[in-house]
Amino acid sequence: MTPTSLSTFLLAGPELTLVAAALVAYLGGAFFGLRQGWVVALAGIVAAALWPEMGPGSGAVATSGPLAIDDFSLFVRSLVLWAGAGLALVQSGDQLRAAITPRPGPRPTGTCEEAGTFLLLLAGLSLVASAGDLVLLFAGLELVSIPTYVLLALKRTDARGQEASLKYFFLSLVASALFLYGLAALYGIGGSTSLEAIGARLRSGEGRVAGTAEILLPVAFGMLLGGVAFRLAAVPMHFYAPDVYEGTGPANAALLSTLPKVAGIVVLLRLLALGTGGTTGLIALGQGAVGPAAAAWLTFAWQVAALLAAVTMTVGNVMALVQTNLRRLLACSSIAHAGYLLVGVAAAAAADATVGGRPFAGPDTAWTGALGGASATLFYLATYTAATVGVFGGLAYLGHRWPEWTSGSAPRPPREEVSTVDDLDGLSGTNPVVAFSLSVFLLSLAGIPPLPGFWGKLSLAMSALEVDWTARAVPGSRRIVFIALAVVLVLNAAIAAAYYLRLVAAMYFRSAKRGVQADGGIAAGLAMLLALVAVGSMTFRPKPLFAAASRAGAAVAAPHERGPITADAPPQPGTAPRVPLAP
Amino acid sequence: MNPFSPSTHLLLVILAPLVGALAAWLLGSRGLAAVRQSAAVTTLVTLFLAAWLVARYLASPEAAAGSPFGVSEAAWLVDGPLDIRLGLGLDGLSLWLFALSALLSVTAVMVSWEAVREKTVGFYALLLVLEAAMLGVFAARDVILFYVFFEFTLVPLFFLIGIWGHDDRRRAAVKFFIYTLAGSVLAFLGLLTIVLWNAAHTGTLSFDIATLTAGLAAHPLPMDARGGWLQWWVFLALFAGFAVKVPIVPFHTWLPLAHVEAPTGGSVDLAGVLLKIGIYGFLRFSLPMLPEATAAAAPWIFGLGVVGILYGALVALAQTDLKRLIAYSSVSHMGYCVMGLAALEPVAVEGATLQLVNHGLSAAGLFALVGMIYERYHTRSIANLGGIAARAPWLTVMFMLFTFSSIGLPGLNGFVGEFMILIGSFQRAWGGVSAAWRPAYLAMAVSAVAGVVLGAWYMLWAVERVFFGPSREPPHDHGGHEAPAAAHAHADGHGASHGHGDGHGHGAPAVPTDDLRWYEWLAVAPPAALALWIGLFPATFLAPSAAAVRSAMAPGAAALAARMEAGDAVTARLPAPPPLTAHLDPIP
Repeated sequence: MTPTSLSTFLLAGPELTLVAAALVAYLGGAFFGLRQGWVVALAGIVAAALWPEMGPGSGAVATSGPLAIDDFSLFVRSLVLWAGAGLALVQSGDQLRAAITPRPGPRPTGTCEEAGTFLLLLAGLSLVASAGDLVLLFAGLELVSIPTYVLLALKRTDARGQEASLKYFFLSLVASALFLYGLAALYGIGGSTSLEAIGARLRSGEGRVAGTAEILLPVAFGMLLGGVAFRLAAVPMHFYAPDVYEGTGPANAALLSTLPKVAGIVVLLRLLALGTGGTTGLIALGQGAVGPAAAAWLTFAWQVAALLAAVTMTVGNVMALVQTNLRRLLACSSIAHAGYLLVGVAAAAAADATVGGRPFAGPDTAWTGALGGASATLFYLATYTAATVGVFGGLAYLGHRWPEWTSGSAPRPPREEVSTVDDLDGLSGTNPVVAFSLSVFLLSLAGIPPLPGFWGKLSLAMSALEVDWTARAVPGSRRIVFIALAVVLVLNAAIAAAYYLRLVAAMYFRSAKRGVQADGGIAAGLAMLLALVAVGSMTFRPKPLFAAASRAGAAVAAPHERGPITADAPPQPGTAPRVPLAP
Repeated sequence: MNPFSPSTHLLLVILAPLVGALAAWLLGSRGLAAVRQSAAVTTLVTLFLAAWLVARYLASPEAAAGSPFGVSEAAWLVDGPLDIRLGLGLDGLSLWLFALSALLSVTAVMVSWEAVREKTVGFYALLLVLEAAMLGVFAARDVILFYVFFEFTLVPLFFLIGIWGHDDRRRAAVKFFIYTLAGSVLAFLGLLTIVLWNAAHTGTLSFDIATLTAGLAAHPLPMDARGGWLQWWVFLALFAGFAVKVPIVPFHTWLPLAHVEAPTGGSVDLAGVLLKIGIYGFLRFSLPMLPEATAAAAPWIFGLGVVGILYGALVALAQTDLKRLIAYSSVSHMGYCVMGLAALEPVAVEGATLQLVNHGLSAAGLFALVGMIYERYHTRSIANLGGIAARAPWLTVMFMLFTFSSIGLPGLNGFVGEFMILIGSFQRAWGGVSAAWRPAYLAMAVSAVAGVVLGAWYMLWAVERVFFGPSREPPHDHGGHEAPAAAHAHADGHGASHGHGDGHGHGAPAVPTDDLRWYEWLAVAPPAALALWIGLFPATFLAPSAAAVRSAMAPGAAALAARMEAGDAVTARLPAPPPLTAHLDPIP
């Protein structure tokens, strides 16, 4: 097929809208004295969200050049835009209000640069989900990383902030390099930069590919996972998170704990799709043929992902237990959540890591599984993102503590940020709305029913228990591994409750010593309230998100998520149903 | 004739407390009186609705078979194969526990009438939310909904303990929460495994408890090495959740702390209702769904029940704090329920089911009265109390009534339950176990009888020290409340002696050290009346749940019988003892 430039532009409409808005912010700020950077950012996000959905219906793929838009990309794109809107509000903080209501005094500077950079980050993330080509994938990831460095460096001027941004910068470079090596190895296996071509080759069962793959696959996957683990803040690339979160502000911590994780999960699922085939490989799988190379790919993937999941969630939670600094604590909690997400990834990989396409069905009937790991991961990712944006929005809104009372002519003490657990003491008395919202978010992260975090953990646990459902549970089998993984998951949820409750207890069970100024800006508070609305609606009506996540997961992962495979009129293997792009 | 259908009625009962919580919150600005009155009205209306629903159930054709009543199944998360519903319904198993929740919620509000004067809006709102969750857990017909309510009971109680509790409230609240959560997440995995197993065999991913029970009866989880002992593991997972909740003895350490530190209203709900959820879970899930594993574990659980009885009683004997003593007595009494359940004899399981209600009434009444004593004297130390009978005769009468109920005096409810449990246990020990197990079973059953004696000992001893003997005034501060009406000497000068934090005492309520006041009567009279009623007419309460209980335990009992036969094919079973309990047992 010959990609036309117009259709490429149409497919990437939302991303291009974001980039255009970023250019407006940059140029306006630099040359036309524009100060309303965050207004431009929000307008850009809304415009991107309003872009008519060019996506295909369920199950189809629309490709143009290196772009491949399927239900998965669409899900991630809307997740990015929703999260981006919330994060933009948190990031803007008090600057948004200052920009809208003209007040005397010095105007905040640099908002346009921040806003533009932030928009580029969103565009990059959205591109990662739509990339059908290794080069675009890497470019998208770098478009996530580089703006993150800039935002980290722009926001903070003190020594800790500089340390945080430098630390993140260097480690991120290492991660990117690892990832790039992995991509190179993948190119070596597949002989093409197109994900579709690589996947087809892996699944083809060609003997020569299998031979190469045996050596190169672990290398490729290990490198790729190393790069992704950094973005997820998963073990063994997790250790930077507490330092960086602590050193930077709550707005950046919110960003770091959500968007890079989305990127990491998106990349991982896309890479798994090389083995499962996702939409394209579906037909091949339905006919009962997974090549040995694809099977090796998936097997290695689930083994590593399961191991990392167990270690990551345990390490994150145990580290979080002893933290006293709020952002360090939340950093550790975000590490733990990366572990939970990896459970779903492992389940998604394991669901199809068998050679020969053994039918996935119960012994008596043709029951084909409820929801796969990919769907569960995406669902969890959305619930996690909503709650995390809410938590950091609330913390950003709280801003600074009231200074210690000083008598006489002592110099005024420096403003201190709300940074430790003790600073939340008695928040229920001084800021009841914030305390309530934060409690809801924290309990959701802890997975207390009926909050969305519970639905997320429910789907993750189910996807793990579903693996190899028909197999005998004998020691050493995959089934046992995944049952153990589910047990580790729920026990970690109990450990995590301990430190989330510590925060809730501080807010509700203690009395305020000094109180907080709540000077972080009304926009952050607004983001918190929006997140609260999102969490509330997901609590009582989880279905829309769940259905969307199911469709998205089906697009990248296992065939049993796709429902019954129609036997009549089998399409040619390796070709997905394509939607011609109407101009 | 009836204005609304049973399912609407049930929904109304569960929603009423939530509406009341909202009303309490909206009335928050009107002050304490409005808030607590609205809470009282809410619980009374809920109780009325619940009692009416129970009456409708008993009059309905479903009652005879104990089958579900008022079933509603609104979709919650129905997408693709997933079929999670807001399934609600009452049946013979849940009927009395449901009613008990509504009844004890009135008690919980009434005992807080004067005791809670700070942040009252939050207190009553949480108490009402807790009531809704308790009602919901017994009415849930969907596994996920059950689990949601099961877990969600923790959240309001966490705040109730942590904000309005006593000195060590924060630690108690967190420990209570974490401990229970750690158990119940494992139970959650067990429930999910059941759901998936059923789905793999029937082709539909159903979360409906009745469907699952039927599905697992048709396709039991494997209980052999070939199937990976799956049933056994699922049983252990469920056990982890329910045993912590009961609590069965090695898992009980959260309970004394939580009970003692909780405000009286929280203790009433905790002891009265929440502990019952554990046994209810066994009855609802483990026994009917995992019969072989239940049978395999039954002797050990039976033993743990007996250990709980004796351990709880012995530790209670050593207590110097009245509330802590009652807390340990709860451990002991729940031991009877565990034992009756694990005996897997119809009489014993029915007795255990009744004993849940009995213990709910007596423990809630005792905790309520201890709370009243605390309000009057600002101490719960047995050594500092004495001669209350002379000043508060009615309080003493009520306390003794609940004491007698708790130690199983004939004519009161406790006797019926304990008697049936012990009879059933001896039946099991005598005629239902293999020769190898018989001595152990007999020893355990006899030890459980010794527990009755111990129970009488520590309770009566405490009553004697606290209510009789020379009048003793605990040293306490007046903390700004008006001088007590009754004339008695105070040992003053201990202004800061009771060191509880900011929750209590300051601006303390004007509770004179006189006898029960009207709201206190309202708190303890209904459970007391019910205790008498059950004691005198047990069949009224046993009959509606008998069929459901029997059908729930039948698979487990059959499996145990098969197991014992297999374990002892040589020994002929001794003839069953004569049906001593015929007069108690409504279903021959």
